[in-house]
Order: sequence, then C-alpha cells, then structure tokens
Amino acid sequence: MTSTRTGTRPVDPSTAPGRARRATGPPRWADPRIGLLLVVLVLGAVFAALRPSFLDVDLTLVPMQADIAVFVVVGLAQLAVLALGHMNLAVGRMAAVSAFTAGLVHDRLHAPLLVGLLVALAVGALVGALAGGIITATGVNSFVVTLALDFGLLGLVAILYDRFAGGVAFATRPAGMDVLRSDTLNDYCAGPVCGPPVPLVVPVVAVVVVLVAVFFRCGRVGREMLMTGSNRTAAVMSGIPVGRRTVQAHALSGLLAGLAGFLLAVADGAFSASIGEQFLLPSFLAPVLGGTLLAGGAVSVLGTVLGATLTAVIGKGLNLLEVPVDRLQVFVGVVLLVALSLDRVRHVVAARREVRS
Amino acid sequence: MTAPTRAAPRRTEPVLAGLAVVAFGALAATTGGNLLEPGTLRAVFAYLAVPIVIGLAQMVTLAVGQLNLSVGVVTGLCAMASAGLMVDGRWSPWVAVPAALALGAGVGLGNGLLVVATRINGFVVTLATMSIISGVRYGIHGTGTYENYAPGLVAAGRAGVLGVPTVFLAAVAVAGAVALYFAHTVSGRLLLASGGNPLAARLSGISNDRSVVVAHTLSGLLAGVAGVLVLALSGSVNASIGDDLLLPSFAAPIIGGVALTGGAVAVPGTCLAAFVVRLVDVARAQYDINPRWIDLVVGAVVLGAVLLSQNREPR
Repeated sequence: MTSTRTGTRPVDPSTAPGRARRATGPPRWADPRIGLLLVVLVLGAVFAALRPSFLDVDLTLVPMQADIAVFVVVGLAQLAVLALGHMNLAVGRMAAVSAFTAGLVHDRLHAPLLVGLLVALAVGALVGALAGGIITATGVNSFVVTLALDFGLLGLVAILYDRFAGGVAFATRPAGMDVLRSDTLNDYCAGPVCGPPVPLVVPVVAVVVVLVAVFFRCGRVGREMLMTGSNRTAAVMSGIPVGRRTVQAHALSGLLAGLAGFLLAVADGAFSASIGEQFLLPSFLAPVLGGTLLAGGAVSVLGTVLGATLTAVIGKGLNLLEVPVDRLQVFVGVVLLVALSLDRVRHVVAARREVRS
Repeated sequence: MTAPTRAAPRRTEPVLAGLAVVAFGALAATTGGNLLEPGTLRAVFAYLAVPIVIGLAQMVTLAVGQLNLSVGVVTGLCAMASAGLMVDGRWSPWVAVPAALALGAGVGLGNGLLVVATRINGFVVTLATMSIISGVRYGIHGTGTYENYAPGLVAAGRAGVLGVPTVFLAAVAVAGAVALYFAHTVSGRLLLASGGNPLAARLSGISNDRSVVVAHTLSGLLAGVAGVLVLALSGSVNASIGDDLLLPSFAAPIIGGVALTGGAVAVPGTCLAAFVVRLVDVARAQYDINPRWIDLVVGAVVLGAVLLSQNREPR
C-alpha cells in the first residue's frame, strides 16, 4: 500500500528520474551499500573482540555462511516483487509448500535430490504466479492477496504434512542432503590443495545472486518490471505488458521462495512444516537495508546480499554474547525501523537534490 | 486509490446474518442439541469476545487505509504486563487494568507516530514493531505462566448476566461504542474521510497524519481491551497469548465487508463475521476435525471475500 507515500504528497515528478538513476548508477552519498559494508565490518570486529569464538571457522563462520545463503535467497524473493512496488507476505508459506513437495516426491517416488529441487522451484513459481494472476485479474492490493494466500497455505501445509508425512516432517530424506548440509569445499581436495571452508550451498546461491542481478540489470523482462514499478501509467503507455510482468515478478518471487525453503530444509536436515515460519521479517530486512525502495522501481541485489549478511552477523554475534531470543527479536525489529527511517531520509534528500539540480 | 465501497457493507451484513442463523441452526440440529446446552452455549459466546474486539482493533486501522500487524502481540503484551503488575507488583486490578489499556493505547500511538514520521507503509512499520513487542512480551516473564492474579476479575469474567457471559457483553458494549464513534463523532468521521479519499480530506482541511495516529492509537487501545478480556476469561496467562490472533483480526473485518482501501467500516458485519468464524471453530470441536482446516477454510473465505468485494466495486 503506497497510499501513505503518494497520498500525502501529490505526484512528485522529481522522484521518478531519481529512482531510475539510482537503479543504474547511484550517487556515492546515497549508496547504502557502502555504509552497510562498513557496519558489517565494524560489527564483525566488535563481536570478534568480545568473543574470539566469533572467528572460529567450524563453530561460527561456516554455519553463518549457510544462514546468509538462506537469508539472501529469502530477501531476493521479496525483492522480485518489491521491484513492482508490490509485496509478498506469503514468502514463508510458499517456501513451506515447495519444501513439502520436494519432500513428497522423495518420500513417495524416491526421486533424487535434484528432481526434488526442480519440483520445489516449479511449485513455488506456480503459487507465485497464482498470486500474481489474482492481483492482475482483480486489481486488489498485493499485500491483501498474499496475506489471504498466506492464511490459506498455512492451513494447507499443516494438513498436507499431517496426511502425507504423518506428522510435522518427512522421516526420509534424499541421498546427498546430508552431504550438502555438512560438507564444505574444504572437504574436496585436488591433490594437496583443498578448497576454502565454504559450505556447498554458497556457490549455488552465488550463481542465483548473479542471475537475478543480470536479470534486473540487463534482462528486458527485468527492466520492464522495474519500469512497471517506477511508473505504472508510463509503462502501460510505453507498450509494456504490465499484467504479464506482474505475474512473472510474482512467479519469480515464488520460485526464489521455493529455493529458500529447499535450502532451509537442507540446513535443517528435514522437510518439516516449520519451514518458512521465520521468513517474513528477514525477507523485508535484507532488501530494505540494502537500499531497495518499498515504492518499487529500484532494486539492489548486492545491497540485499549485504543486508542479509548484516542480519546474520547481528544474529550470530548476539547469539554468542548469549543474548536471549526475545531480546534478539527486539534488536531485529529496531534494525528494520532504523533502516526504514534511513530509506526515508535518502528518499527526501534524493528528491531535494533532484529539485535543486 | 480506488473509491470507497460504501455500498458493500450494507449488502454483506444481511447475508452474514442469514448465514450465521443457518449455520447455527444446522450445527444445533446435527449435534443433537448438544450446542443448545447452557454450558456449551455459554462457552460459544464467551470465546467470541476476544475475536470481536480484535477484529474491531484491525477494522479501525483499515478505516484509514492502514494495517496493524501488531494487534495480536499487543494483546499478549497488555495481558502479560497487567498480570505481571498484579502478581509481582501487587497492584490492585483497579489500577492494573487501566494500566493495560493505557499500555495498549501507548503502543498504538507509537505505531502511528512511526508511520507518520517515516512515511513508510504501515504494514512494514507494524511488522517491525510486532517483532519488538513480541520480544518485550517474552521479556516480562520468560515462558512462565501467571496465575491467581486477580480472583475478582476472573470471577467477574466467568460470571454471566441472565446466562450471557459478561465478557461477551463487554465485547458487545465495546462494539457499540466503536459504532457510535464512527457514526456520530467528529473524530470518527474524520478518520473515515481520510481513509475514503486522502486528497479530498486534505483539501477539506483534515490532517491525514492525525487520522493515522488516532486510528493506530485506537487500534492499540482495543488490543489492550482484548488483553484484559483474555485476563478475565482464562485465569492464567503466558507470553504465547496473541500468536494466533492475527488471522482472526483480519478475517472478521474482511469477511464483514470492511473496505480494505479505507473509508468505510462495518461494525455489525465485523461482529457477525467473528461469530461465523467462531461457529466454524465450534463445528471443528464438535466433529473432531483437524484444527488446521480452520486456517485453510478461513484463509480461502477471506480471499473469496476480497475478490467478491472487488467485483462489486465499479472500476
């Protein structure tokens, strides 16, 4: 719902070129990514000074990379619809449905891990496309549609696990899942040279990050999604099939949510009904911290990676400092609020610059 | 945004009333009159109180075109804080209950001020405050349970007037007050004006920012009322209260015909929808169905209600 933003201020023509410029090459002073990188480094140093175990490879760094990998994909799932100025409140449940189908095809058909992954991605994309289709067909706000979808899927996932898994998780898991979970590149050696201590999922996610970045930077469909988010009327006038782009963006969001669900299942070691329950807040945290606008029209994939990294560093650091979970929730909420306020400040400053120049 | 659907609630409420009567009759007949036993009947209405008030809390923010994701956790926070004051602080319920209401209103005020100050979508702001409040809620007493905080309050909550539970009467009284507020007070009309057409409201000299702050404050206050009802109803509270209230809070107003774009409220519709949802829950208990079906059915009905209300609207 962008009414608070556009409703209180009449249409502000100066923001549209500002957004477009930030999407291609942001001015240095407005780039949140540099500040984010500094914050990550400073916080990392502080945590390392307070708890030397923060730099312990096996205890902290390897699990943290796996966490970051999941958070990045969750953030990208939200970013795909934020490009339109939409929201996907059902990211978590789309991930849960996808993970369920991946577990089901293994449990019933003994499908290998890769087939499970492909099925999960397809199901996620389908559910996302369904959400996008409803939004396009009815013109209802995206958050209402995805919220209602989230409620429906919440019940569906629990029922499906109850019926097909006989509980809250599948007892079986495909071969290779444990390897994917516990092995790092360090376990694979070519002669005397071994890889760095990086979990196997990280290269996979890195490829996804590059693909999404290229999609929004160079891909025609991605650019058209951004234009739709920046100014829908202008996009329609330019002959962009706005409805189709909306469905595609939501399908992409569902696909990435499915991937995130699969990755979390790998990290947890089981396809369970609780997958995705904690996705909603991080899904907004990572892109918004990284400078993606909630109003649509500008995305920052690299910023999302850094935002996810910051979230994971804070989470792990406070965990090592033995901060209780409830206080951790308070910190995460405060970080999101601060990030949102900064987003607003950037927006105002960018608009002023635009007017002056 | 789109024009407010003032016609929608008028058509929704008779349908909902008919549906409620038919569903209640069918349920009473198929359970062999079990539903009409005084004990069962009292439980049906006693546990309707919180869904009504929480639905109204959400409705107030929907009226100005906002959302409040934190209603559930504010309810839990107010219940826990009030119980903590009574048990650990040895406060009298006469002081602790108003304190809970003030806390709810204060949290709502904070939400509203944040939305206005940051100009960010109310959904995302309340998502962030939901996380914060949830943490604070657990910070009060960990995962522990408060019991025996106010025997008088619990006795009053479990009592009834002519067989009707007092908590239900309290919820109906609150609903009546909210209906009067929107129908007959200047402040309530201003909220609807801001929600219906922000630009027209601003050109008429109405402060939309003030409307947003007032709506969020009222929403928090109503969540506080729900927290007090939980205290009076259950006799023991822990920090998980409010976790399962998010869906009911949206289901009641959306099914009740409240326009999601703001500008229109439907207090009787919201109460009737809460009753229908409660009947679904009762049916589950009577027929011993997996509780998860409730989420699925209610989610599907909410989606259907959204689609229907949109089709009615001239676009």
